Formats: sequence, structure tokens, C-alpha cells
Amino acid sequence: MEARGAAALLATRVLFLSGKGGTGKTTVAAAVATLLAAQGRNVLLLELDNQRPSLTGIFGVKPVYQPLTIRQGLSIANVEWTAALDDWIADIVSLPRVVRLITHNRMVALFLEATPGARDLMVLMRVLRVADRYDHVVVDMPASGNAAAMLSVAVTARRLFDAGPIRRCAEELLALYRRPDTALVLVAIPEEMVVTETIETARKAAAELPGLEVPVVLLNRSTPPTLVPAEIALLDALSAEAPDGLAGEVVGAGRWERELELATAASLARLREQLGVPVVALPVLARGEGAARVVAQLAAALARATKGKVNLQGGKL
Amino acid sequence: MRLDELVRTSRLLVCVGSGGVGKTTTAAALGLRAALAGRRVLVLTIDPARRLANSLGLESFGNQEVRIPLGPEAGTGELWAAMLDAPSTLRDVIGRVAKDAATRDAIYANRIFQNIAGSFSGSQEYMATERLHDVYTSGRFDLIVLDTPPVKNALDFLESPGRLSRFLDRQIMKWFLTPYEEEKVFGKRLVLGTSAVVYRLLSHIFGKEFLDELAAFFSLFRDLYDGMRERHEAVGRIFGDRGTTFLVVCAPNEPSVDVATFFVDELQARRLPIGVIIVNQVHQCSREVPDVEALLGARAAALDPATAPMIVARLGAAHRRLRELGALEAGWIARLRAVAPRVPLAEVPRKPGEVHDLAGLLDLHKDLFAESRPLL
Repeated sequence: MEARGAAALLATRVLFLSGKGGTGKTTVAAAVATLLAAQGRNVLLLELDNQRPSLTGIFGVKPVYQPLTIRQGLSIANVEWTAALDDWIADIVSLPRVVRLITHNRMVALFLEATPGARDLMVLMRVLRVADRYDHVVVDMPASGNAAAMLSVAVTARRLFDAGPIRRCAEELLALYRRPDTALVLVAIPEEMVVTETIETARKAAAELPGLEVPVVLLNRSTPPTLVPAEIALLDALSAEAPDGLAGEVVGAGRWERELELATAASLARLREQLGVPVVALPVLARGEGAARVVAQLAAALARATKGKVNLQGGKL
Repeated sequence: MRLDELVRTSRLLVCVGSGGVGKTTTAAALGLRAALAGRRVLVLTIDPARRLANSLGLESFGNQEVRIPLGPEAGTGELWAAMLDAPSTLRDVIGRVAKDAATRDAIYANRIFQNIAGSFSGSQEYMATERLHDVYTSGRFDLIVLDTPPVKNALDFLESPGRLSRFLDRQIMKWFLTPYEEEKVFGKRLVLGTSAVVYRLLSHIFGKEFLDELAAFFSLFRDLYDGMRERHEAVGRIFGDRGTTFLVVCAPNEPSVDVATFFVDELQARRLPIGVIIVNQVHQCSREVPDVEALLGARAAALDPATAPMIVARLGAAHRRLRELGALEAGWIARLRAVAPRVPLAEVPRKPGEVHDLAGLLDLHKDLFAESRPLL
């Protein structure tokens, strides 16, 4: 199940990655892209119109509109919506002079800024256009609720426009969603409310985004169950005594690990049961590591998961 | 200034910070504390997650304010909570300010309004501003605790008054509405010069039908603009009021501290007062290396000799991990202190489990309000 989920993740050509804030989705997106590139694929990792691109902290370079090659097979970019708009206008109007007239017109700029959904549509069109040039495009989407709203702009646009360029955009995007190698993947962490929101987002996406599959959920910061029954029994007995001082801290540390294990197991079970899709667990990593190293370690963990070597379901390590 | 004093004296507390750091829970705890001090409090969340409802022990609630039952110790204090729902707030605002029932119904019936008005970019911030103005000026509450959505959106909220003014720029509305109005008068479009070219191209892109509908939408809305602009400017003044304080909420890790630093800079650049920086979910651990076997004492002796060393080693390792994490977190907190050395910083220890009722909420944050311990 895990290996199948991880394989589905890596087979996806256009991967929209989202999750509740604080789940580490940007880091996970970078790890997926890193792994694909290491496997010899040509990958583009995208942020969408982010004024403070998070990828800067990971790769040490600020992503801009035009893809920037970081290393063999891996490029990053930030889809600024104004540039995406220029491209789109150039797409439908062939005269450069007229394109400039439109894109440099203050009224047009303000009109489009005020037009509901225009920004989201332009940004997604850029994702669609640039996707042709790469084996894989990994898109670091906004946090869950906003990501679903952003993707559903295509549905709304098709409802509102009977013909014309916008209608064609909407059709193209909806066709992209329906492709079997396009997916929305959600990142969660083992916390009750995060899991609840992840389930809600997956259901909302299934209801509102026809054909866009959620083939796998990633449970980031998981703690595998390694405590044996004798340890658990001892911890329970010690906790009941509620020691203070340093002894209390040691017991607290043991209980802390136990809670992390329980939260991971409960989250995995809930996600699988409620969504019926594979859930791939990614390990919790030492937080002191630099962002680039965390990405490398996560990529390695993902690679192991595709080979079925990570099993958080059963017993000891 | 101590947090306890802030919840007793402020009129508006605005919580900002990244997602997943317990911002909503903190907002609820502040509200609860103020209510227990006898004030009438509204906790208003713009974050669409159900966290607030959960931490207040409720299943869910929506746009309408809901009163949270408190024990007799609250005295005259009241705790209310609401979750901003942009589309319903927009309907409410239109219902209230439309010049007549016909205008109101025309807006409700407009296809663009029905499809996107509630979810257009920034609508949540506009509506939050409307709602905040409404509850702030109603006189029903002594204190409003506002929980903002994470990161970028929260700043949009601060920007909202200015952005709305730009959006409502007369010139733009005039440019856009003129052909629409002239058509009504002359029965044909009369647009000249550059505008004509641009307008034709926009028609080409959007289709004439859509532009007409959009124009109708803007036209219906025009009567509401002046009122909206006034209220948004008023909220801009409320943000700068002496009774308003911003609280930066974060967790002790790199991304969250980054976002907190960003907020501190932005707030200071806008000369908006930051009351306290609250660091949630702090793992507390002494630096001392324990002799686990000695600490277990008789317990260790009673263990199976085969498993005892393993258990001792594992507990030692768990404590070491906690120490390492504690040291790391202390580093991030120190960095945050250095960013705003004059702003008090409060740490909330991480507690196991999640908050599902008022007692848990109070307990989680009791250190924040410890009377005996100053925050600095």
C-alpha cells in the first residue's frame, strides 16, 4: 500500500501539492522534485505568485518567473501573475504592439486585479503551458482551503463563459485535471485537527474538481512505533507516580515519544479509513538541520518508501 | 506590559502569525481570560479552520456570534465567538446598505455576484474589515480578539483599507462604467481613443456578455462604495488606536520564526504596537544529563534483566532528544528576541494532546497569565 502510494506520487507528471499551513509542504515539494531529478528526470518545481518565495531558503536562490536550473534535471520558478498575464495576452493577441498596449495600460491592470479569479486563472495557465517542457512539474500550492479555491477557478470560469479565450482556458485546465498523470497530493502531520482538515480538503476536492485525483496523502513528521510493551508498561507505571525534578523530565521524555507514536498510528489509520487512499509516512527529522539537508533526507526517505522499505504499521525496527 | 493587563484594558487584540502554531487557540485563551475578568468579549476568527470551535468545546459555529457558556466565576463577563464567512457577510452588508430592495435583489440576482463575489481575491479581507467595524462600533463588546489567517493573507488584511481605496478609484470605475452607461443612454457604445482599443480587446478576451454583466455588477455596487470606503478608513484608524495591540504568535522553529520576524518588521514599519510575542509549543527541558538507572532506582531493579538496559538506554535517548530539541528551540527564541529586543516575549510550554474544552484552554495558557511572574 505504502509502496504503491509512493510509486503513484512519483509517476505523476503534474503534481499539485498542498496541505494545511505548518505541515512542511514546501519542504516536501522540494524533496519530491529532488528525488525525481536524482532519478534522471527533468523536473520543474514551482511556487505560485509568492511575494516571499519559500524556495529561496531551501536552494539559496530566489526563484523568478523564468525557470532557473539549480542542478542537473532540477529547475525552480515563481509564477508571478503579472508576467503570466503578459504571456497569456501574447498568446491570444499576436501583435506585440497591441500586447504592450494592453499589458501596460493601468486601467487594464486594475481591471484585471479587480476581476474575480483572473489572477488564479493566469497563474494556472502558466503552469499548464510550462508543463510541456518538463517530465514533471511539482507545484507548491497555497494552503489547503485556498488551493482548492484556486483550482476550482477553472470550474467557475467554464460556468460563466460560453465561448472565447477564457472558456478555452477553463476547458484546457479541466482537461489537465482529468489526466491520469495529474494529481493533487495533500501533506498532513500527525495532529488531530490537521488530519481532520486534510480529510475535509480531499473530500471538497473530489466534489468540486471533477477528475482531479488525490491518489496519495503524505504524513510528514511521523514517528514509527518502536516502543516495546515492557517499555510502555514501565512508562505508564512511572507516569502514575508523577515524579518531579529530573526523574519527571525523563519520564516526560519517554511519554512524549509514546504520544508521538500513538498520534502517528491514529493519523495513519484515520486517513486511510476515511479517504481510502495509501498514506505514505515521512519521518520526523532533527529540526536543527539546515533546510537543504532536510530536503535531501526527506527525498531519501521517499525513495525508501517506493521500495516498500518504510513500514510504520508494524512492530519494531 | 503584561498580557494580563492587555486583556483587561485593550479594546482590540489582533493575533498574527503563521499557520499551525496555535494562533486560534491563543486567541480563544485571551478571550476567555478577559471574560473571566468580567469583560464582554468577542473572539472573531477569519481562519476558516474549525480550530476555534474545537478549542472552545463546540462542534462548530458560523457567521453569527455564539455565546460560550461560562461558569459563575465569570460574573458579568461574557464570551462570544464567531467565524467570518465572507459570502454571508457580503450579503448582510448589501442587505443593510443597498438603497432599496430592488437594488439589493438585483445584486443578489447578478450572475457574477452569485458565482464569485464571495470568493474573489481579497473578498475575505474586505468582509473582515466590514465585520470588524460593525462589531467594534456596536458597543456590544468591551474587547474583540481578532484571529487572522496565516501569513500573506493577514497582511492583506492590514492593507485592506488602502487596497479597497485603490480598487474604488473613481477614475477606474468611471472608465469602466462609462461605455455601459452610455449604452443605456444612447443605445450604442461610444468609446474613443486608447480606451476604445483596450475595451475592444477586453471584449475579445472576456466576451461582450461577460463585460456587460461585470459592468452591471460594478454599477450596482457603486452606491455602496462610499460607505465601504468610509468604514475601511475607520478600521485603519482603529488599528492605530491606543486601545489596539498586535500579538505575534509563533512556534519555536525556523519557518515560524521567519514569519514572526516578518510580521514584527512589518508592524514596526507601520508603527503599529506589538504587545507581546507569544511563542507556543515550547518543549521544556533542563540541560542536565540524567543518570536514568539511578533515577529509576528500585524500578530498575525490578525490571527483567534482559530488557532493563534497553529500557534505560531508550529513556536516556528520549531525554537526550528532548534536550537537543529544547536547545534548538532556545536558539530560535533568542533570535526572535534579538529582532525585537524591546517587545516582551512569552513562552507557552507544549502540552500533550489537544485542547477540547475551556478548562484545557485555561490550563494550557496559565503560565502566560501567571501574576507572580513578569514576562520579561
